Amino acid sequence: MLQQVLINGLISGSIYTLISLGFAIIYRTVRFFHFAHGVVYAGGAYLAYTLVVSFWSLVDSSGSLFLRWCIAVPAVIVCAGAVGVLIDRVVYRPLRKRKAPNLVFLIASFGVFIFIQNLLQLIYGAQMLTLRAGSVKEGHHILGAVITNIQILILVVSCLLFVTLWLFVQKTKLGKAMRAVADDPLAASVVGINPERIILAAFAIGSALAGVAGMLVSLETNIEPTMGMNAILKGIIASIIGGIGSIPGAMFGGIFLGLAENLGIWKISAGWKDCIAFAILIVFLLIRPGGIMNVKTHGERL
Amino acid sequence: MTSVFSVAKPIMEYFLHILVITGIYVILTLSLNLVVGYTGLAALGHAAFSCVGAYTSSLLALKYGLSPWLGLLIGACVAAVLGAVVGAPSLRLKGDYLALATFGLGVIVYSIAKNWVAVTRGPMGLPGIPGFSIFGGEISAVWSYLILVAVFVVLTYLVMHRIVSSPFGRILRAIRDDEIAALAMGKNVNKYKIIVFVVGAFFAGIAGSLYAHYITFIDPSSFTVMESIAILLMVVFGGMGSLGGSFVGAAILVIFPEMLRFLGMPSSVAAPLRQMIYGLLLIVLMLKRPQGVLGTYKWK
Repeated sequence: MLQQVLINGLISGSIYTLISLGFAIIYRTVRFFHFAHGVVYAGGAYLAYTLVVSFWSLVDSSGSLFLRWCIAVPAVIVCAGAVGVLIDRVVYRPLRKRKAPNLVFLIASFGVFIFIQNLLQLIYGAQMLTLRAGSVKEGHHILGAVITNIQILILVVSCLLFVTLWLFVQKTKLGKAMRAVADDPLAASVVGINPERIILAAFAIGSALAGVAGMLVSLETNIEPTMGMNAILKGIIASIIGGIGSIPGAMFGGIFLGLAENLGIWKISAGWKDCIAFAILIVFLLIRPGGIMNVKTHGERL
Repeated sequence: MTSVFSVAKPIMEYFLHILVITGIYVILTLSLNLVVGYTGLAALGHAAFSCVGAYTSSLLALKYGLSPWLGLLIGACVAAVLGAVVGAPSLRLKGDYLALATFGLGVIVYSIAKNWVAVTRGPMGLPGIPGFSIFGGEISAVWSYLILVAVFVVLTYLVMHRIVSSPFGRILRAIRDDEIAALAMGKNVNKYKIIVFVVGAFFAGIAGSLYAHYITFIDPSSFTVMESIAILLMVVFGGMGSLGGSFVGAAILVIFPEMLRFLGMPSSVAAPLRQMIYGLLLIVLMLKRPQGVLGTYKWK
């Protein structure tokens, strides 16, 4: 039983990781809570649904599932990235120019969140939709736990994305520029890095990650318009537990949160899941605000 | 609910009902404005306090037959105690982190209301909550309840007005504008912050209790974190640090969406559309007038 709990924790943890990775990439450069990240994730799931289920049932219901996904995957990645960039350009950038305080960003972000979530509800309706086709296959038995193909896919994709992102930030020129802006935007602009360009890149990459997370989740569970709220909350919590803005921290935080929640569900009851997550958050905020990675928080922020 | 309105004088009853709800939100908005608008503490868990107030006075009335008047007072006091409990550790947090921690409190209180089935009956809610009675007669008609709520609104307004126009209120604004300067002037900033949390929570508790005894049914879904966000939006919309703004903010954000009901759209379209307009309104407000409709406070 313990093995199964750990495996489940690892899987939900890797989804949290993907969301908090995207959130962290964006947070590093802009330094406010991009709450609307959650609806980009929900949007990714719904776009995948449209491209894999709705659209094909109009044209040709016999089209191969593999081919559908070949179209859906790049489309979701590109569209999610584009939506992220659009949100930044339309809403955040004018606020940034005015040097608005964080609370204004946060509220504007809530506005975007509410707008897009209800747009999804208007288009698709409030009911749950499912992407899974056919019967549920029995999973593999590994170390006394059951794991399905889709869950293995989720684990593998998250690991790959994490490693890719880590290498990107450490090795490439753009990644280094992103780190520079994260450390000190003013100094970065002095050496000729355009912070606006970096912020653009951060929103594109971060939002694409959210899109992928949404797509992966849609394979595993039902999708509904309100799914973004829970996701972004867990993403932010994972980020803070790990150390806000840190990329390895986002991963540690995500896995830690996933494991803790599933252990809690096992020992207490499923209803207390969110309560456990927030209790862990508050403990971290009060005792170790730098998170697992002990990130230095800027004096004026905490 | 629909049966009540479809019998007699439906339009008038409905109109009065909306006014009662608006009044309750005005109390919530005024009390949150003290915390967020005047003291500059980004608190995002206001619904938690009204939840505690509502459940306390409902349970006291249902299980022990306590008078709702007494229940209202005890509920508000329990909410105030929670405010102190939350306020104390929150002093170490600022800005976004305080917002998140108080948000967390909202989730935790909601989870307790939902999962502690033995006491709160969980998602089934508490039905049959008795109403207030005065001089032996129960206040059940909507118009009489409106008067009751109006009395509490005026009371809340007077208390808030007294607080913010006193030297005490000046210190709160000093904390908002420059906490370090306030500290340097020898003010015990932490003490003031806790008092503000307690007062805010107390009035939120009153609002929750008024709501419970009016609707006569409560369940956790009335006190979600989205509710806390909605109250914050009313504060920001009307104007941070403006008591008049709290009336405007609560009134517009409660009444305006209701008006959309009369456009004759099916509810599957109207409900999300209403929310979309809400979201759009917020974005535009933040872009064009972040100080709110009546606010004068310039954001740092």
